[in-house]
Amino acid sequence: MSRTTLIIRNDLKRRLRAPMATILFLVIPLAMTALIGMIFDPGSGGETKLPPIKLLLVDQDKGLAAKFLVGAFDQKELKEMFQVTMVDAAAGEKLMKKGKASAMLVIPEHFSDDLAEQKVSTLEVVKNPAEEFLPGVAEEFANTMAVGLSAIAQVFADELKVIKSASKLELEAISIAQMTPLLEMARVKIIALKSYLSPLLLQMKTSTTAKSPKGTGAAAQPDTTAAPKGFNIFSYIMPGMLIMFLLFIVEAFMREIQNERADGKIRRMMFSPLTTRELITARLFSGWLLGVLVCSLAMAAGTLLFGIDWGNLLLVFLLVVASCFWCAAFFGMLNAFFKNKNQAGAFASPIILVFAAFGGSMLPLEQIPQSMRWIAQFTVNNWFIMGCREIVEGGVPYLSFIVLSVSGLVFAGVAMVALQRRLST
Amino acid sequence: MQQKILEIKNLNKSYGEITALANFSLNLEKGEVLGLLGPNGAGKTTLISVLSGTLRDFTGTVAFMGQDLFGDRRLRNRIGIVPQEMAFYEDLGALENLMFWGGLYDIPEKELKKRALELLAVVELGGRSKEPIKKFSGGMKRRLNIAIGLIHRPELLLLDEPTVGIDVQAKVSILDIIRGLGQQGTSVVFTTHQLAEVEQSCTRIAIMDKGAILAEGTLAELIRIVGEKEIVEVSGEFSADAFSAIIQQSAADGMEILSVADNQAHLAFADSERIPAMMQHLFQHHLPIADLKIKSPNLEAVFLKMTGRSLRD
Repeated sequence: MSRTTLIIRNDLKRRLRAPMATILFLVIPLAMTALIGMIFDPGSGGETKLPPIKLLLVDQDKGLAAKFLVGAFDQKELKEMFQVTMVDAAAGEKLMKKGKASAMLVIPEHFSDDLAEQKVSTLEVVKNPAEEFLPGVAEEFANTMAVGLSAIAQVFADELKVIKSASKLELEAISIAQMTPLLEMARVKIIALKSYLSPLLLQMKTSTTAKSPKGTGAAAQPDTTAAPKGFNIFSYIMPGMLIMFLLFIVEAFMREIQNERADGKIRRMMFSPLTTRELITARLFSGWLLGVLVCSLAMAAGTLLFGIDWGNLLLVFLLVVASCFWCAAFFGMLNAFFKNKNQAGAFASPIILVFAAFGGSMLPLEQIPQSMRWIAQFTVNNWFIMGCREIVEGGVPYLSFIVLSVSGLVFAGVAMVALQRRLST
Repeated sequence: MQQKILEIKNLNKSYGEITALANFSLNLEKGEVLGLLGPNGAGKTTLISVLSGTLRDFTGTVAFMGQDLFGDRRLRNRIGIVPQEMAFYEDLGALENLMFWGGLYDIPEKELKKRALELLAVVELGGRSKEPIKKFSGGMKRRLNIAIGLIHRPELLLLDEPTVGIDVQAKVSILDIIRGLGQQGTSVVFTTHQLAEVEQSCTRIAIMDKGAILAEGTLAELIRIVGEKEIVEVSGEFSADAFSAIIQQSAADGMEILSVADNQAHLAFADSERIPAMMQHLFQHHLPIADLKIKSPNLEAVFLKMTGRSLRD
């Protein structure tokens, strides 16, 4: 057995022998994920229901399409999801300013006419900035509705013109007798469309983070690549928690170098045929391996406990490998510049907390002020969280892989040179 | 002619303004147990650190078996080190530790295990080889620390204060081990500030202070430095200046002032019959003396004579 392997084996054996610290760092992110997740859904285990979304509806059109849209919220599934209040624009704005609703959906004037005439119309969603998830869901719903209505308007253009010409007067001014044939036609069409709308309405529930612009164009194109999945809030929270505690685990492990310097072990090792290069390589590898093991276990636990779907497992594993390498190399490098274990302990925790705060572990990146978001690019948290999201969405996080691997290699190189100097004095 | 194991010449090492080693030179022969005696800050640990290769920026030469110790890393395989700290993994067992530290010397596993068990028996830990070390007493840990230094059968063992912080019984056991190593042909350099330890276990003693060797030789040779004189230790509530002023007045033939400090002084008398006269002189000058001890010539007296201060200072 090589000396490097001997040290790695010894390091891991010692971790297994006294696993409490590692277990604690494994359990805490799971517990925090569970806690935060349960705030949103106290009863569920896996797939999470959102609390009713308070939605203000401003109908400035009052036409057929607008009524169709408003009526959609009376459907059973949407009734459970949205708590709709019809308001006028002024009252809606006041309520939004007071934070009384998650979002306000504004149906513009001439919305029905524009649709019938195949003109572009805009549904406006005003989001409550104090809330993170619920306005996003409302926005995504509006987007989906816009896509559905656009499709209806385009496919059934001729029928809509007939309906429109039959209802030139305001709907309220038409008698029931006049309305009956129109309603019957509309009903037939709506029944015919139901099978098309239903999947869209169901897709709305699956939407995760909304990235669509503030005003949603009615002519927007549907995202046909996104596979319909259940919105699982735990999968949104856990990557951030996991990477934060991974930093703590790897940091605590890499700080062992300082302890071993202080208690004479390094001196004893350096007196053996072991070289500093072998020792540093072993330590970086052990830190990396420990991180990968703990992270893999935590992710497996996340799947079992919270039903988290991490996406392509091979890609997730590669992301974990790259992130753990970054952590081991980064803290290896830092320990070369710390004079002793006290200094290492004093500096490491604030560094991790800054990473967590600005990298998206504590707050979603979207909540961080725009002027400070650039800091995230220098944190492993950001690249890990973004990578996880990209994998879940079916993509390959090339940028995360490149950034983590390249910067990890640079840190490892610096660690190798600087630690050799530190350990030989 | 005895085989020279270690030859240190003109070693100099400073920490900024502080000189830790000043033209330090020392030789060690095969099977010799050398006690390096000196107070805290004398440079003992610096010397061990230089020899163990963890301190680099020094001047001077160190030859091991005639070869430059720092020129060939393989020479380290033939030297063992026992640092002052408990340099092992407390969450592992004694046997596991020996297997780990021995593994760094590329010893085949089977041979290593045999050697580890043999050493555990020597240091009287054979029955507790699998127990986590954190459950061991201080003395047991010290013995294990020595065993780790011996795992690769070194020809030279460097021990840095191996008896710090342990009880008398454990100390005796460790000193026995050190004596036994010398008898088996292993050369030992053993630093301490305990006079009794070097008297009991070393074949040769070097007195070190301020980074240099002040005197060296066997115990008998060193005691001859102070001669066959009676040593008088005077204690009381007096200042060093007051004592010096009074004692100078009664300076008599055959009396030597070894050390004078506040509240304590050491004097050497070639003729013990002069001691009462000196005492009378001190009392006449109303020097507040609380205690007076008459001792046979010993290493402490040598140390006092060489350094002008007690080891405890």
